[in-house]
Amino acid sequence: MMLKIDNLHVRVAGKEILKGLTLGVKAGEVHAIMGPNGAGKSTLGNVLAGRAGYEITQGSVEYNGANLLALEPEQRAAEGVFLAFQYPVEIAGVNNTYFLKAALNAQRKYRGEAELDSMQFLKSVREKLRVLHISDELLHRAVNAGFSGGEKKRNEIFQMALLEPKLAILDETDSGLDIDAMKLVADGVNAMRDPQRAFIVITHYQRLLDYIVPDFVHVMVDGRIVESGDKSLALKLEEHGYAWIAERKLAGVA
Amino acid sequence: MDAVALDDLLGSSAREREESWRYSKNAIRALTQQTFATAPPDATLSAETLQRIDLPFTRGRRIVIVNGAYSQRYSNIGELVSTIRLHHESAQRLKITISTGCADPLHLVYVSAPAGSASRWQADCEVELQSGSAGLIEQHVGEAGADVFGTLTSQITLGPGTVLRATMISDIPDSVSLLRKGHCTVGNSAVFAATHAHFGGRLQRIESRIDLVGTKSSCSSRGVFVLRGREHVDVHLDVRHNARDTRSNVFWRGVADQRSRGIFHGAITVAAGADGADAQLSNKNLLLSANAEIDTQPVLEIYADEVKASHGATVGQLDERVLFYLRSRGIPAAAARNLLIAAFCREVFDGMAIDVMREYLDAALVARLPADAGMP
Ligand SMILES: Nc1ncnc2c1ncn2[C@@H]1O[C@H](COP(=O)(O)OP(=O)(O)OP(=O)(O)O)[C@@H](O)[C@H]1O
Ligand SMILES: [Mg+2]
Repeated sequence: MMLKIDNLHVRVAGKEILKGLTLGVKAGEVHAIMGPNGAGKSTLGNVLAGRAGYEITQGSVEYNGANLLALEPEQRAAEGVFLAFQYPVEIAGVNNTYFLKAALNAQRKYRGEAELDSMQFLKSVREKLRVLHISDELLHRAVNAGFSGGEKKRNEIFQMALLEPKLAILDETDSGLDIDAMKLVADGVNAMRDPQRAFIVITHYQRLLDYIVPDFVHVMVDGRIVESGDKSLALKLEEHGYAWIAERKLAGVA
Repeated sequence: MDAVALDDLLGSSAREREESWRYSKNAIRALTQQTFATAPPDATLSAETLQRIDLPFTRGRRIVIVNGAYSQRYSNIGELVSTIRLHHESAQRLKITISTGCADPLHLVYVSAPAGSASRWQADCEVELQSGSAGLIEQHVGEAGADVFGTLTSQITLGPGTVLRATMISDIPDSVSLLRKGHCTVGNSAVFAATHAHFGGRLQRIESRIDLVGTKSSCSSRGVFVLRGREHVDVHLDVRHNARDTRSNVFWRGVADQRSRGIFHGAITVAAGADGADAQLSNKNLLLSANAEIDTQPVLEIYADEVKASHGATVGQLDERVLFYLRSRGIPAAAARNLLIAAFCREVFDGMAIDVMREYLDAALVARLPADAGMP
């Protein structure tokens, strides 16, 4: 098991948001997480990436057999955890290329790998840009500064492609993308699918899952996974909405 | 220096003094109560200092002033063009007349070299640019040791149509205090463009008054200070639009860490009749520690019509969301912090006309960031 989340309880600003979340992800798998606004999906992504301000009151998260929660965010990144943010921040004055090279080399250094020189780095960048059909003009700008909503999301996927994580968490990367851009993002993800790599794809739309076909679909409501299934679960959700899950629960079906 | 001369520097009336030194009251009081001997003008400079002032692109055009006095020994003016005339009214009073500008900058170095006990120097410098465009680098350095207290008054006069690009840099230890009072008069269609970078000092007071007296004259004052320890920098700008169609652009950034103290006071006055003026002021500051303090005071006074003016001033902290974003990509926390501080300051150097100078300031800035973290 690559990622093992067990009975995770998390408080934010004194309020319990995750209320006993359990989830296992094996290398090679793609898990989709769906659920209503405020269910705690982004909270889960932030906790996995190591953002400060989240109090773990109960439960555990193991990543490749070790306690993930004990690591600093930069250590998690170097160990292969990547979060594509729901709302990527703009970083004025920090050049995108410089940032990417700094990030990649910091990770390589942590892992004891040789740092890439500018030539090697740019070669790698060009390859990834081509696959994702991203204009290299974005590279010369400050990180996400003045990027459109869609460009920011694509930049997240571009970073993922470059950093080649082991566990990628995509938080609503499809939101705000036009249909062509969504296909490009899906192509980018599919090109990276690999027996050694796992994805957690958070989305509100079944449509994305037509392109990134998940092995598992989970429904998260009020800080817990309340239903898990295969791709067909997403279709049922699309048809009936989240109320349907609640009714099924009441009727004792699940 | 006697008490009367110092009084003059601090402000002409008691009320003016009180107001203008509000945030540096204790620092200046401690200085005025301390006993200083006259700093030796013939001090021998360390190899490190000589290396720091040796900018490859100003060799042959370097005027070195040690403890306030012109130093024949350390100045290197072999390549000064004939249109630049130096006139020494005394060792402490230098007048530079530039009849026609030239592409290569003139380098003025002020060294504060400590004596066996606390010492003080004073100097005065006058620069007149009569035609063309010229570059001026004013660099202040100091050596660690006993306290040194330097005061410098300077006047710059820019003739019609001239352009002066000035770079003001100070990098001094916290045993050195500097009071600098500059006054620049800008003639018709002339341009005064100053870029400042200030690091360190027990007390650094930088007063810069700019009078836009000529029609269509303009000025820009861009600057940054980066402080740590108990360093204290107090910047006072006083820009006066006194003619029609004048423009000013003030753009300053400040960073304070540990127990340091920064003050930015930016006053812009558009006089009655100075119609068509354009005055922009932006001042942003970054506090890196709960014990550091920065005060910012933009003051805009407009007595003319058809004036375009804007000003903004903030004091904030590094954005935690941005820091997390960088760390989530693998950049260690301290390096991520350095990256953001440098980006914040570098905005000041953007668009500097002289590339080598921008690189020099950038290196000085990076050297000031916590070294153990490095730049990613
Ligand atoms: N820093 C915070 N302070 C207070 N409440 C917070 C904070 N962060 C998250 N919350 C609350 O936690 C709950 C879960 O938020 P989260 O962002 O994880 O939801 P989500 O499932 O990602 O929703 P969406 O689908 O709208 O993105 C929300 O009620 C939110 O208001
Ligand atoms: Mg969310």
